[in-house]
Amino acid sequence: MSDTSHGTGGLTFDKSKRSWPNEMNVLFALIIIIVVFEILGQALPYMKDQSFLFDTRGRFDSIFNEARLKIIILQVAIIGIIALGVTQVIITAGIDLSSGPLVAATAMIAMSFGQTELVNGNPNPKAIFGPWAMDLPVIFPVVIGLTFGAAIGAINGTFVAYFRIPPFIATLGMFLICRGIALWWSAGRPVSFPTESYKFIGSGMMPVVWFLSLAVLFHVILRYTIYGKHTYAIGSNEEAARMSGINVRRHKVMVYMIASMLAAFAGVVLSAKASTAQAGMGEFYELFAIAMAVIGGISLTGGRGSIIGTVLGAMVLGVIRSGFTFIKLDGSYQLMAMGSIIIAAVILDQYRQRSRA
Amino acid sequence: MKKVLLATGLSILMGGTAMAQEIGATISRFDDNWLTVMRNGMTEHAASLDGVSLQMEDATDDLAKQIDQVRNFVASGVDAIIVNIVDTSAGAAVTEAAGDTPLVFVNREPDNVNELPPTQAFVASNEIESGTLSAFQVCNNLRADGKAGGARGYLMNGQLSNQAAVQRSKDVHDIIGIDMCNFMTLIDEQTANWSRDEAQDLMTNWMSSGEPFDFVLANNDEMAIGAIQAMKAAGMDMADVQVGGVDASQDALLSMQAGDYDVTVFQDAFGQGSGSVDTAIALAAGQSVDQKVYIPFKLVTPANMDDFLDKN
Repeated sequence: MSDTSHGTGGLTFDKSKRSWPNEMNVLFALIIIIVVFEILGQALPYMKDQSFLFDTRGRFDSIFNEARLKIIILQVAIIGIIALGVTQVIITAGIDLSSGPLVAATAMIAMSFGQTELVNGNPNPKAIFGPWAMDLPVIFPVVIGLTFGAAIGAINGTFVAYFRIPPFIATLGMFLICRGIALWWSAGRPVSFPTESYKFIGSGMMPVVWFLSLAVLFHVILRYTIYGKHTYAIGSNEEAARMSGINVRRHKVMVYMIASMLAAFAGVVLSAKASTAQAGMGEFYELFAIAMAVIGGISLTGGRGSIIGTVLGAMVLGVIRSGFTFIKLDGSYQLMAMGSIIIAAVILDQYRQRSRA
Repeated sequence: MKKVLLATGLSILMGGTAMAQEIGATISRFDDNWLTVMRNGMTEHAASLDGVSLQMEDATDDLAKQIDQVRNFVASGVDAIIVNIVDTSAGAAVTEAAGDTPLVFVNREPDNVNELPPTQAFVASNEIESGTLSAFQVCNNLRADGKAGGARGYLMNGQLSNQAAVQRSKDVHDIIGIDMCNFMTLIDEQTANWSRDEAQDLMTNWMSSGEPFDFVLANNDEMAIGAIQAMKAAGMDMADVQVGGVDASQDALLSMQAGDYDVTVFQDAFGQGSGSVDTAIALAAGQSVDQKVYIPFKLVTPANMDDFLDKN
């Protein structure tokens, strides 16, 4: 790959060297996909001239179908939170496969401390601990969940940075370990019936609020702080970064910890949204999170990519998923089409890179 | 009907319980919630019978291990074996491992169920009943709500690769096909992979089209609950929509108690467990037994849900 040929080694992330920000391409792709669904809604005989994004039946105050706009982003918000973390990991030329099972394990653990004692007057049939763990303030499950995530991330990062295990292998191992923890925690039984304050974390559009505020936060951090500059530097040229005095190993551990804490938080939000935690949750989330970053134009060889790109990549997946349901496409075709779109995104991006070099 | 078959099956074996019987059982996994209830049904029922001892092993989802467990039971000379098979496509291998020792398959239908030797039998619930019971009750409720002139709704499928999901969806189509229920039409059907959070998103996607609907049928309770959560989040009155599922899980029953959920179906784990013990004893006594013993599913509605709150 020729990622470093057009950059400056990443130490001073010079925007002026880029004639055409990569994010613009993703935005165009997003618009094109929306237009395609809009046309299909008019053209397909069984669709009765429905509009994908616009309100044609006077249901809303604005010209848009607000319900559709909401679900497009709501359904990708939780995986999007994971994608914010995996974006940072991939920028350092790493990968994190453990996030999906970590979502499940954290959901189980956190909700065990966020259960309510009485459900419509009956004792909670899914209680994990005794009354001492019931109806705790919501800060307890959240902090416990994030602490668990931080610990998993620290282990991932330590193996990658200090034991020099390839990130793919280290996080693949953690993938299995976390799924095991999720199954072991309550012997496979679901953990249900959280307190109202726990439910609030995932109610309504709250997942989107979390996703977008965290996106803004990490956009600023990656763009304007030392942490961000070091992250790009390590991904562009790890040796050069070391030579210039960056503590590469410590920094990598930090990046993996942040990624895992974001995945753990996603687990809390997911279990709050569903009002249940189950060991099988978060299946394929790690892959969709990586797909969001890839569609957003990240380079798996490191040094290139951005939070804005990943957020747009998440939007592309959200539009596709809603669009497929809109045109009533069968589930099996949906998977085929989604896979093709991910591959097409990478081919287009590589073609663009090569033609510019 | 199946109840009659079961009753005759049970009455036949009353004579066989007098002598001492040793039964070995292997369960595909001990940590599965539903299978644990079934396992308890086996243990409690065996303990209540004179002279019956039951030895239970965990196959930990490992087919090779399970076949070895069957061989070990044969080697130690048990009178009968009960197998909750790990992999339904390996029925022939388990049948062969048992040799002449009587064997009962429980809950999961082995692929060789139609070629079992006379010393073997199968005890479970008939999957065709579950989706049918649920959809038919929703059909009746819609009629009672005065919607017999036409009702539109959605169907949520479980994992597309899963046999029970395929069967339950087919049952729904069959019910909609009969004269009494052909006023029901499906706007769309999609998979939500048995999962509550996927069902929430799917339901919200459906609702975003703004089409009015009267019912939602799901292949299991988790998806039905996800659909209910999405509809409530959108401010819908759950009295206007009929929701049907399958499982009668605790979460579902409490949702029914809260007035949100209308119809589910109870698969009798305890009954399957005790039924498998009875059939094993009958086979060991050399009695001829119906080779497919079906434990009926039970319809659960707000009227009878209290009977099921502490089961499954």
